Amino acid sequence: MVKLEDISSLLEVPAHLPHKPPVRAPSAYKPLHSYALDKNRSYKQQYGDMYFLRLAKIKPAVEEVAAKAWQDTQIGGERAKRVDRVLDVRQGELCWVAGTVYMDMKLKPNILEDVSKDRWLSAPISSQKYYSDDGSDQTMLEDDSGRVRLVGDLLSTIPLVTGCIIAVMGTENTHGEFEVIDIKVPDLAPQPERWALSKAPSAGGKAKSEDTEMTDSPSEGGGKKIAIVSGLSFSGTDASYDLELNLLLEYLLGEALGPEEQAGVSQISRLIIAGNSISTTAAKDTDDDDDEVKKRAQKKYGYDASAYNPIPSQLFDEFLSELLPSIPVTLLPGAQDPANASYPQQPIHTAMFPISRAYAADATAASASQPGWFDTVTNPWEAEVEGWRVLGTGGQNVDDVFKYVESDDRLGMMEAMCRWRCCAPTAPDTLWSYPFQEDDPFVLKSCPHVYFVGCQPEFATKVIHGPDGQSVRLIAVPSFSKSKEFVLVDTETLEVSKVRITSR
Amino acid sequence: MDEAQKYLSDRLLSEEVPVTYRLLSRALNIRVNAAKQKLYEFYKSSNASKAGSVHATYLVYGSKAQDRQPDSGDTDMDGSAPEHEPLSDHVPTRTVTIVAEDKLKEVLAEYEQVSSFHIYSLAPFPQRDLSILSDVSKSLSEYKNAEDTAKAFDTYGIITNPQARKRDRKGRPQIPAPSAPKPVAKQESQAATPKSCQPEKVKPEAKETPSTSAEATPSSSAGKKPPATLKRGASGGIMQSFAKAAAKPPKPKVKPEPKAKDEDTSMVLSDDGEADEEDVLPPLKTVDLEALKRTRKEREEALLRMMQDPEDDVKEEAKREDEPSDEEMEEASEPEPEPEPEPEPEQQPKEEKEPTEVVSNSSNGRRRGKRRVMKKKRILDDQGYMVTIQEAAWESFSEDEAPALTPAAAKATPTPTPASSTQKAKKGAAGKGGSQGSIMSFFSKK
Repeated sequence: MVKLEDISSLLEVPAHLPHKPPVRAPSAYKPLHSYALDKNRSYKQQYGDMYFLRLAKIKPAVEEVAAKAWQDTQIGGERAKRVDRVLDVRQGELCWVAGTVYMDMKLKPNILEDVSKDRWLSAPISSQKYYSDDGSDQTMLEDDSGRVRLVGDLLSTIPLVTGCIIAVMGTENTHGEFEVIDIKVPDLAPQPERWALSKAPSAGGKAKSEDTEMTDSPSEGGGKKIAIVSGLSFSGTDASYDLELNLLLEYLLGEALGPEEQAGVSQISRLIIAGNSISTTAAKDTDDDDDEVKKRAQKKYGYDASAYNPIPSQLFDEFLSELLPSIPVTLLPGAQDPANASYPQQPIHTAMFPISRAYAADATAASASQPGWFDTVTNPWEAEVEGWRVLGTGGQNVDDVFKYVESDDRLGMMEAMCRWRCCAPTAPDTLWSYPFQEDDPFVLKSCPHVYFVGCQPEFATKVIHGPDGQSVRLIAVPSFSKSKEFVLVDTETLEVSKVRITSR
Repeated sequence: MDEAQKYLSDRLLSEEVPVTYRLLSRALNIRVNAAKQKLYEFYKSSNASKAGSVHATYLVYGSKAQDRQPDSGDTDMDGSAPEHEPLSDHVPTRTVTIVAEDKLKEVLAEYEQVSSFHIYSLAPFPQRDLSILSDVSKSLSEYKNAEDTAKAFDTYGIITNPQARKRDRKGRPQIPAPSAPKPVAKQESQAATPKSCQPEKVKPEAKETPSTSAEATPSSSAGKKPPATLKRGASGGIMQSFAKAAAKPPKPKVKPEPKAKDEDTSMVLSDDGEADEEDVLPPLKTVDLEALKRTRKEREEALLRMMQDPEDDVKEEAKREDEPSDEEMEEASEPEPEPEPEPEPEQQPKEEKEPTEVVSNSSNGRRRGKRRVMKKKRILDDQGYMVTIQEAAWESFSEDEAPALTPAAAKATPTPTPASSTQKAKKGAAGKGGSQGSIMSFFSKK
């Protein structure tokens, strides 16, 4: 409860106005190109290899976990024994086996059905959820040898999605179904140390301004921060949150707020934009309730030049160009952004930003050695920011997993992905994906310190811990256009705070 | 009455438009913090003289009571969360609120602690609709100084960043090149060639040659030849150079026109993720229209020739056999001995390709030798899958002289003999150097 009288002194002239504007804290930043695709990629290959690769990469890990847990397990005098392949499971024998989960759900789009009915165009997905609570959904475990249906009460308590790799212990019953007694997941991957790839600024060899920064940053209270925002949804038609966007800009530039707070804002060393920066719902005002309009908006290749509205991207470009002289920006594409539709989304082309791209990496010069000041990156994206391994996505991976499970617990899904060691398990089944041949990059080789997901319905965060002392800060970043919130992450403690912008 | 007072009374009382602190800072070139102060002073003074003449909106920043860690007894505002255990950690939330003065009290009541509080804008009327303020900020762009953002930031008191870096576009086109021929090339490009639309990209020596030849042979039909031939000499095949063109900027771009054209049309759709360097056109110099027209024509023709390029020898050979043309007749009547038009060593440097034929013996009316063909091979791999592979293999052949001549003529057109070269010239390959032409003759043949 604050009274006007208490704070009216803030309106008066401060005793001393700082002579120089505050200087932005430097950003230690090393993007990893884990999800970059070859420019001349071929789309002719099959998707099957992805499942094979994923199983091959994660199976050893999950088997290790399972072997440790179940090696001495005895039930009814019978020892659980390891079975190599799903097909080798014998009826009545207590055993455990590792494989890929496949969810058979009647609401889930099925490519085989499309093919058999000779439908070669993927219809827009209408349902919000694939999950149906009538119990008709089936869980299967498969590997390259075959597939077995999993049954048991345990399955209803542990959410599973197509594509995750697990180990199950149990027996095959007379119906040929596998009665699950216990489930193991690979759990968190090994976590690299902080500053594993880039050098800590204190270790020397960084920019000159670093030493001065080091001395005064702890005294500023809170130290350096990273700002994460998503769903800016610059729109040509909807101006309802223009003021908030302006305030966001003023906040980050250190124009709003008082002098002390501005000094705090100057410690925000980087802005990460996690998807959906541009709103494509241009036809919203003409016909809101009509599904037809929505469908037309989703049409990716039925390009209609007359329907193209350049204003959103222009506004976004202007927004960025004002920020960039002051703060480096990392831009992830999202579902609505002008990037490829399938995962991993490739960076938004800098041609979209005629003004801001002056700050982008020079494509010809030593772009490998130095990331762009304005870095348009892939989605998912992996980097080392201030020494921390950061994994971020535009949100499609979580949105898709969300359709498989009953709960609304987005953080739980993010945690599950970390423990499955796969950041997009439902690709390529229901999440459109590039057909990888040599490697499945969605497998998490190393566990991130920070895992953020953009474009979520609401803000949420928590820290999860792994068996080997790993800890991951999970952050669900809300859409700014809806929540008017953005997230600040402290780069020393990984503590999260958020800032909300409102107007009355 | 100081400057700020004057500006504010102009804007607010005469023009009756709202002023934000940012606008004031831009208009007067003062720090944003000073601008907030000026707004407050003006607000105080004008309302002291006449109450209600100016209305303010405030910006409040701090933490709200409702965002405090919910205690055990506390009921949440929305009432939905406390049912089950919170899925998310609670984090400190700070709220920025823009509020009109009449609602200031109630907004402040929600705050637990306020760390920043200042006037956001002034308006001559009560501000019901705050979205007007976003229109005000749009007018800020008038004051934008694109040249020196760092200095502007300093003026306005925006957080500066010494690390900020732009890519240097102007530095890019300066590909280290011998500087001597540059002025000449430039002159010419301005005088005769229309290449001035992309002068930086082209290496000077490269530019020089086509332009001089264009000058030397002003007739359009002859003028369009040289670039193509030249380029043939420098690198192998139009197609190859196209493939490489985008990837290797420092490569001498001997033939810039078709390249540019190609990038304009066919490569537009590539989503290779690289920044399009080429789409930043250097300011167009005054190009004379005639020259422009000529280049366009040249480009079109080059493109057309390219389209007709059959590319693979096999197809070409087959075509040749289909049309035992007048050329063949004519050439058959030539007094030349057969082995001569097979200048293997000469052909190689020109096409930078492996010879597809080696003729070992062509006496007594028959030609024997080996030729390279692509063979399809079907094998079972170690996993039992059928795999079809294509591999190059040598196949020996022996054929009659007459049909043998056609492929020979096809491949060996660059015969240095005067007879054949004149014939080529007759067929439209005029202006072509005798030693280089090889495949070029195909293009103009049909």
